[in-house]
Amino acid sequence: MAKDTRPVVLRLSDITMQFGGVVAVDNLNLDVHRNEIVGLIGPNGAGKTTAFNCITGVYEPTNGAVEINGEVVIENHPQGRMKEEYKGRNQGKYTRALTMLPDRVTKLGVARTFQNIRLFKGMTVLENVMVAMHMNQSESIFGATFRSKKAREEEKAMREEALELLKKVDLYDNRDDMSTSLPYGKQRHLEIARALATHPSILLLDEPAAGMNPQESDDLMRFIGRIRDEFDLSILMIEHHMQVIMGICEHIYVLNYGGQIADGTPAEIQANPAVIEAYLGGDE
Amino acid sequence: MDIRLNKKTKSALSVAAIALFLILVYIGDMNIPAGSSWKMLITVIEKGSIYALVAASMNLLNGFTGLFSLGQAGFMLIGAYTYAIFTIPAESHDKVYQYFDGGVIKWSIVEILEAKMGIFGHYLGMFIPMLGAGLIVAVIAFLIGIPVLRLKSDYLAIATLGFAEILRAFFQWNTLGPVTNGSNVLRKYTTYDNAVFPVIIGGICIAIILLLINSTYGRAFRAIRDDEIAAEAMGINLFKHKQMSFIISSFFAGISGALLAMFQTTINATPFNTVMTYEILLIVVIGGIGSITGSIIGAFLFTAASEWWLRGLDAGRWLGIQADFMRPGFRKVVFAILIMLIVLFYSQGIMGTREFSWDGFFSWWKNLPANLKAWPSRHKAKAAAKREARAVKAAAKAKAREAKASNEARKASGEALFTPLPVSDTVMVFDKEGR
Amino acid sequence: MLHTWLPYILAGIAVGGQYALIAIGYTMVYGILRLINFAHGDVFMWSGLIMVYLITVLPLWVSVILVILFAIVLGTTIEKVAYRPLRSAPRMSIMISAIGVSYLLQNFALYITGGLTKTYPAIGWLQKTVTIGSATTKMVTLITPVLTIVLVFLLVMLIKHTKIGMAMRAVSRDFETSSLMGIDINRVITVTFVIGCGLAAIGSVLYFSNYTGINPMSGAMPGLKAFVAAVFGGIGSVPGAVVGAFVIGVCENLIKGAGWTTFSDAFTFVLLIVILMVKPTGLFGEKNIDKV
Repeated sequence: MAKDTRPVVLRLSDITMQFGGVVAVDNLNLDVHRNEIVGLIGPNGAGKTTAFNCITGVYEPTNGAVEINGEVVIENHPQGRMKEEYKGRNQGKYTRALTMLPDRVTKLGVARTFQNIRLFKGMTVLENVMVAMHMNQSESIFGATFRSKKAREEEKAMREEALELLKKVDLYDNRDDMSTSLPYGKQRHLEIARALATHPSILLLDEPAAGMNPQESDDLMRFIGRIRDEFDLSILMIEHHMQVIMGICEHIYVLNYGGQIADGTPAEIQANPAVIEAYLGGDE
Repeated sequence: MDIRLNKKTKSALSVAAIALFLILVYIGDMNIPAGSSWKMLITVIEKGSIYALVAASMNLLNGFTGLFSLGQAGFMLIGAYTYAIFTIPAESHDKVYQYFDGGVIKWSIVEILEAKMGIFGHYLGMFIPMLGAGLIVAVIAFLIGIPVLRLKSDYLAIATLGFAEILRAFFQWNTLGPVTNGSNVLRKYTTYDNAVFPVIIGGICIAIILLLINSTYGRAFRAIRDDEIAAEAMGINLFKHKQMSFIISSFFAGISGALLAMFQTTINATPFNTVMTYEILLIVVIGGIGSITGSIIGAFLFTAASEWWLRGLDAGRWLGIQADFMRPGFRKVVFAILIMLIVLFYSQGIMGTREFSWDGFFSWWKNLPANLKAWPSRHKAKAAAKREARAVKAAAKAKAREAKASNEARKASGEALFTPLPVSDTVMVFDKEGR
Repeated sequence: MLHTWLPYILAGIAVGGQYALIAIGYTMVYGILRLINFAHGDVFMWSGLIMVYLITVLPLWVSVILVILFAIVLGTTIEKVAYRPLRSAPRMSIMISAIGVSYLLQNFALYITGGLTKTYPAIGWLQKTVTIGSATTKMVTLITPVLTIVLVFLLVMLIKHTKIGMAMRAVSRDFETSSLMGIDINRVITVTFVIGCGLAAIGSVLYFSNYTGINPMSGAMPGLKAFVAAVFGGIGSVPGAVVGAFVIGVCENLIKGAGWTTFSDAFTFVLLIVILMVKPTGLFGEKNIDKV
């Protein structure tokens, strides 16, 4: 297959995450190119969500580096007691300890959704989206409290943009409903809308089709493609629904027990014996 | 039957209601003679406003930012002391600080400004130390917040409680006596002369809290309360926002402390203990965690009940009942039991997370007769549903017992309990894909 | 040098032992319910108060046994009435309920005592003076650490080697899974409260015979300190709580000895904040990883 010439927007190099003696992610190397949709698959417990958490700053990886838009923003190497306990590879390759809190990662343009939907329960649909725009707001807390002209303008612009966004994800009619009163599928859509409200360039989707019937996941697939084009996104997604993954991803990485067992195009993955074994169990 | 008023009517109603209330309080405080039992009403309004403010400030933390902080009494203490220290008239210093050679601060801001600007200076002189009280508390909250706000829920509660205790010990420290008067009371400082004063100051501060909650920052606070991890993923800097909420809440606690000092006319560090924080927390709970109007209602109910309505329980005579067990302290026991009942059976509080609105008020008023009429039948329906649920549960239990007994019997007779499925060639139980 | 400090160290060890007996109640309840039982200090205070009233009509040993029984009944009743109905409620609600119970117990004590400080009965042989080296001290100072260590040893044996102990460990590890595995959660929690409150009652007998006076607020400060001890040792760990309690008791008395009595209470909270900053899991605590 021809080499992808688009620029790399997200690169994980040798990402290893070890909790005590358990290696949850083992030496993961992954590239997401601009406008590409990349799938991350693997059986339960393979370390997919942990990898997401390493990218978004929720966890500090034990070893390895994360590069966003060509710049290393997270890097770590085994330190302290972990020096002796470390079971991964490439010890010593990384020397810096760069960490980043999740909100900073989001500000760099990486937005995410969660496997178990995490909406703001006490808020309406519209407020959920507006919360995500808070970080781009420049008025200070005093101005915002006393409703300065700037604050009122920003609030108005925010509301308009949020409503616009809700129209695009078919949630406009639900804008004043409580977020938890939405049906499950719409809650997934709202989570994506909320992530889009942070103006990301890279979107991480954690099992967006979980719990959906074939019809719904089909809709979702088209929806993801649409937002990719409309918002000029690069997407990395974890998914179990094989139709979704095979139908939409340009490149797929397969994890098993933390380790990376294969990567390639959907066709290559389907033919890969290691993947089949991981999913279906070995021959007896 | 929902009522919707337009915006203008609503603001007019609000202005009219507030003005009417202030005028009534003002006239009431001027004209009710000291001995009258209605004077109690004025006391309740004064203390209620102060507690409403501190409850609202605690609600900002606990109900809107999700930080379970128990440091409110400590912050009130600093506020009260800051205000009192700077407003004791020069001539009274020797009397107040009698054990500390008249103290080190020998002047009063009120007096200095009054001499220069007359009556306006008098109020400015009260206002400046009050604001100063808030600001000093805010600075201390900033410092305390640096280590404490990184802690998780219940550790945060204990750490803030601990800091409040440290502050209390600090203010009673003899070495600081020339400033804080050690463990002796501070008195003779300037106080307000009409009950309308704490109502106005408390009202303005609560209005500011409400404005904050409805701003984009307030939305960020609520996001943190609902889900910290998701809030962080939305680009909200957790620590910075928690710190802002903590500092602002403490600022208003400091101001309410200054008001409390004025209300009490003498202050001492001892009563600013954990019990005081618990009382403020319970006001928030009674009103509804996450509702500022709830906190206001809760504060007035709390002070009215403890200072006025239940007073007879201490004196041995209440609602015409006379009994020997009604001696000092009984009021608080009844009160505590009432609060436990609310906590256990009515944990939403009076307002839940709703706020007062004129629409809601009029709708409620209009539907009240119908609701009252429907109440017995609704109650009956609820009771019936409960009975049914109990019956179903009992039946299920009986069935389970029966099944267990029959199983035991079968086991005793040696019969096999588990019968395997019949094996057949045509039924494939497991099917591996791709074969 | 030792000559001047020895009395303070001895007093510290004694107080530490008493805190330890209270701290066990906190740490076990927290380990299982993830609840700071704010009412625990007040159960402790009430045990002391009941002793004051019982001793006037009953012989000493009967009173002590009745006090322990009383504390157990009070503690388990609180759990049944105020905590059990809220078990599935948010954590903040159950903590508020605990604060409400604490408020109720304090106010009830105020009503019963009329707000006066009651004289704690002098228990003859506990008050006997003994001389160790250069320091003269009361018998209770020597009894407390020994008794504490014996009781803690028995408790650790119970947790490690009995069926109910195993159930307790399982429940503290994973509440939901262990209930699915057929462990009777309610029984485990009741036993936890029985142990915690019983030990607190024993602690109250030792603690108050050192201080002679008791009032409705007497439980608040030792309660908070014992909780800090539990956090210091790593919440959920019984040996940790005991070590923490001894550290707090000794340091507090050394501070008193140095003439900083005002700050002896404040020290506890400074320690709390320092430990939470440096090692949030406490000395023997295990690290918890939040699942995202």
